[in-house]
Amino acid sequence: MKHFLLSTVTLLCWLSPPTAFAQNADNHEGIKPEDVAAVIKREFSPYAGRSFPTRPLFGDTHLHTSVSVDAGTLNRVGQEDAFRFARGEEVLSTGGLRAKLGQPLDFLVIADHAEMYGLMPQLLSGDPEVLSTEAGRRWYGELTSGNFDRIFATAMEIVGSLSGDEPPIKSDKAVRKAWESYTALADRYNDPGVFTAMIGFEWTAGGANNLHRNVLFRDDATVANQTVPFSQFESKNPEDLWSYMAEFEARTGGDVLAIPHNGNLSNGRMFTVENFDGTPLTAEFAAKRIQYEPLIEVSQIKGDGEAHPYLSPNDEFAGYEVWDRSNLNGTEVKTPDMLQYEYAREALKNGLKLAASLGVNPYKFGFVGSTDSHTSLSTAGENNFFGKHSGVEPEPHRWEHVVIEAPDPKFNVLGWQQAASGLAVVWATENTRESIFDAMRRKETYATTGSRMTVRFFGGFDFTAEDAASRMPAAAGYEKGVPMGGDLSKAPEGKAPTFLVAAMKDPYSGNLDRIQIIKGWLGADGATQEKVYDVVWSDDRAPGANGKLPPVGNTVNVEKATWTNTIGDPELITVWTDPEFDPAQSAFYYARVIEIPTPRWTAYEALRFNVKMSEDVPMTTQERAYTSPIWYTP
Amino acid sequence: MPRRLLREPLAHFAALALLIFAAYAVFAPQAQQAPAGSIVVSSGKIEQMAAIFARTFQRPPSPEELKGLIDDYVTEEIYVREALALGLDSDDTVIRRRLRQKMEFMTSADVDSLTPTDADLQTYLDAHPDAFSEAPQVGFQQVYLNPDRHRETMDQDAATLLEAVRADPKADTSVLGDASLLPYELPLTSIGSIDRIFGAEIAASVAQAEPGVWTGPVASPYGLHLIRVTTKSPGRLPALAEIRDVVLREWSNAKRQDLEAARLADLLGRYDVRIDAGPTRGATP
Repeated sequence: MKHFLLSTVTLLCWLSPPTAFAQNADNHEGIKPEDVAAVIKREFSPYAGRSFPTRPLFGDTHLHTSVSVDAGTLNRVGQEDAFRFARGEEVLSTGGLRAKLGQPLDFLVIADHAEMYGLMPQLLSGDPEVLSTEAGRRWYGELTSGNFDRIFATAMEIVGSLSGDEPPIKSDKAVRKAWESYTALADRYNDPGVFTAMIGFEWTAGGANNLHRNVLFRDDATVANQTVPFSQFESKNPEDLWSYMAEFEARTGGDVLAIPHNGNLSNGRMFTVENFDGTPLTAEFAAKRIQYEPLIEVSQIKGDGEAHPYLSPNDEFAGYEVWDRSNLNGTEVKTPDMLQYEYAREALKNGLKLAASLGVNPYKFGFVGSTDSHTSLSTAGENNFFGKHSGVEPEPHRWEHVVIEAPDPKFNVLGWQQAASGLAVVWATENTRESIFDAMRRKETYATTGSRMTVRFFGGFDFTAEDAASRMPAAAGYEKGVPMGGDLSKAPEGKAPTFLVAAMKDPYSGNLDRIQIIKGWLGADGATQEKVYDVVWSDDRAPGANGKLPPVGNTVNVEKATWTNTIGDPELITVWTDPEFDPAQSAFYYARVIEIPTPRWTAYEALRFNVKMSEDVPMTTQERAYTSPIWYTP
Repeated sequence: MPRRLLREPLAHFAALALLIFAAYAVFAPQAQQAPAGSIVVSSGKIEQMAAIFARTFQRPPSPEELKGLIDDYVTEEIYVREALALGLDSDDTVIRRRLRQKMEFMTSADVDSLTPTDADLQTYLDAHPDAFSEAPQVGFQQVYLNPDRHRETMDQDAATLLEAVRADPKADTSVLGDASLLPYELPLTSIGSIDRIFGAEIAASVAQAEPGVWTGPVASPYGLHLIRVTTKSPGRLPALAEIRDVVLREWSNAKRQDLEAARLADLLGRYDVRIDAGPTRGATP
C-alpha cells in the first residue's frame, strides 16, 4: 500500500511543476533524488488511502422530554425544543427560564420511555379516550390541580406505574401515533455533517431495580416506523428485548443496539452472573448480551458507575459522584455484596472470568456517558446544569430539595447529590447516523463526566517513544495498533502490549492532572485482579515512597466559582508498556484521564443564588474521561 | 337527578363541543347559527351518528336504533345547555383547563393544515437570513508553542518563529513549533467548530485575520500559536431549493408560535383585564 502511494505521488510530482523542480531549472544534470524526496515529504499524506476519524464527536445518548410518561408529569418542553436546544438554540425551560448550551452537541438521542409512549401530552390535552380510563381521570385531576405537592406526588406515582405489570392506560394507537411523530421529527432535525438526530427509546425494565436499556437505531424513520418501542409491559426479561431487536433486524434489514445504564442502582442485578430466571449464566445468554449491548452508559446524573472504593480500595479516584445507599427509589437497601455486580470495572473483570468458563464474555463492553435528563435539556456542564427532572430545575433551594423520594426519608436523594454528567464521545469518521452508530458498534467511544476532552488510546506491540513525539500520533496508532474498543491477541515472543495514549483538555475546562491506565486480568488461580497505573502526568511530580503520585493541587476559589490553569497541563501524551505482562493471561486495559479540580455545579449554584449549603455538599470536582477498553486474549 | 347526569363525562364533552361551536362561530362568521332555544338535528349530524354506529357494530343502525341515538343526542343537548345557562362550567377547573387545551390544540391543528407556498417560504427565508446562512468558515494553519518547552524564552521564541515563517512563505511550516494533538491545518471549518477545538481566542483571531499572512502569537488554553488563514468563506445564504425542508421546518415552528400568540392576543383584546393591587408579592418569581 505504501509503495503504491509512493510511486503514485512520484508520478504526480513528475507531471506537476512543484517548486523543487523550478529551483533546479538551471541544473542540467536533471532531477536529483533528494529533490524528489523533499517534495514527497511535503505532499505525502499519512491518511491517504485510509479514512480514520480525526475529530471526536460529543453527544448525549439518553434524553427524556415531555413525551416520557414520568418526565411529562412535570415537564412541558417537547421533543422539538429538545432538538433545538441540543443544536445550540435558546429555549424556555418548563420553569420559564431561558436556557442555552455554551457549546452545541454533535449528536443527540431522544430516548423517551417506551411505556405508554407519548401518552402524557395527550392526557394533559384532555384527550377523551385517555380520560375515559379511571387512571387517566384521576391523574388528570391531580396534574392540573395547580398544587405543586399534589402534582409531585402524582408524578412519583406515575413514575412507579412505569414498572408495573399492566399499563394503567393502554392504547397501541396512541403509542404508534406518537412514535411516528417522533421519528419524523428526528428526520427533520437530522443534519448530516452538522448535527445527528439518532432515533431511540428506553426500555424501562426492572423499575426501581434499574435494568433499563436505551435502544438506538442506525436508520431513519422509514425503517424505524416498521416497529414501535418495546416496553417492559411486554416483557421485563432482557432476552426478550434482544429477541425483539433480532426480529426487527431480520425483518427490516435495520440495525439496532442497546445501552444499559445505572448498574449502580440495580442492587446487584445489572452485571449479573445469572440468567433472568436465576439459573447460572449460560453461554447463549452471554453471547446475545454482548451482541446487542456493545456499550454501557457508565456516567450520568444518577451517579458514576466506573469504580467503587469498596471494590477498588487502592484507587484514590474511585467513588466519584457515587450513589450507593440503595436502589433507585430507596425501596431496597444496598449491601456490599451487591457492588461487584454493579460497577463497570468489576464487570469487566468478571467478564474475563465468564469468558474462561463459558467461552464468551458478556461484559466486553465499551463506555459512553450521558445525562438521562428528564427536563428535555441536555446539560452536563457544571456551570449550566438544569438537573435531573423539572421538579428540580434551577432555583435557590433545589440543592436541598428531594429529587427522588424514598419510603424511608434517610434514603431520599437530595438535589446536591445529582452529578452534572456526562457525555458520549465517539470517534466517527463523519457526523452522520451511520458513522456514529458504526463507531459505537466497534466501541471506538469514550465517556466523560461532562467535559470535552479529546482522548486517544491505542494498543499494540510496537509502539515506541517516538510515536509519542509524533505530530500525528493517531496515524501511528491506527497503523501499528488498534484503537479503544479493539482487541489484541497472541503476544509475539518476549513482547508486552504497548499503549499510545494522549489527551487534550477541553478548552473551556481545567487543565489535565494525569492519564492512568487501568488493567484488569484473570490470574492463574482463576481470580481476577486490577491495578491502576499513572502513566503520564503534569508538572514536576514523582511517585512518593508509597508508590502514589502526589495530588496535582487545587486552584479553585469556591466563593467565586473560579479556578486557574496554573497547574496541570493542557496536553499529555505517552507510550506505556505493561511492566507485569503475562501472555497466558487474558486482560483488559482502559485509559482514565483526570482534570485538575474545578468548581462543581453546586459552587456555581451557591454563587448564583447566594445561598449557603451544608458542609457535606461537595464544591469541587475533578472531571474525567474513561475510554472503552482494549482486550488482550492469549 | 339532572345534576347527577351533569357529572357524567359525556355531558362535559358535550359542553366542550358546544363551546367549540360557539368559538367557531366567532372565528368563522359565515357558519350557520341556529336560533337560541331550538335544537336542530341536521341530516349531516344523523349521518355522522349512523356512521359511528356502523363502525362499532359493523352494520348500519336499524330505524329504532337510529331513533334512540337521536333521542339521546337531544337529551344531552338540553342538559348541556341548561348546565351552561346555570354557569356550571365557570368554576370547574377541570373543564376550564380542558377547554384551554382544546383551544390551544385547535391552533396547532390549524398549523398542520397550513401548507405554505414557495413564495411564503421565500419570504420567510429573506426575512431571516441569519437563521439560514451557512456559518462563515475559515481554513487555516497554526504553529504551536508549548509553554513547557519554552518557559522563560517563550515570547522571544514566538517572535523568532514569526519572523522565520514570514520570511519564507513557501516553507513547510508543518514541521515547525511543537507537536500537539491540535491539528496543524484545518480545511474550511465553521467558526463555532474552531472555537470548540481551539477555544475562543483562536476562533476570534482567525475570523478577523487576513488570508495568506502569518500573524500572532495568539494565546490559547494550550499555549501560543502563530496562525495563517488559508481560505475564507463568508457563509452564503443558500437558495430556497437547496434548503426547502429546513425552511419549511422553521416556518412551521414560527407559525405555530405566532398563531398561539395571535389567538391569545385576540381573545385578550375582548376582555377588560383589571388586576387588584393586593399585598406585595413574595420573593419567588
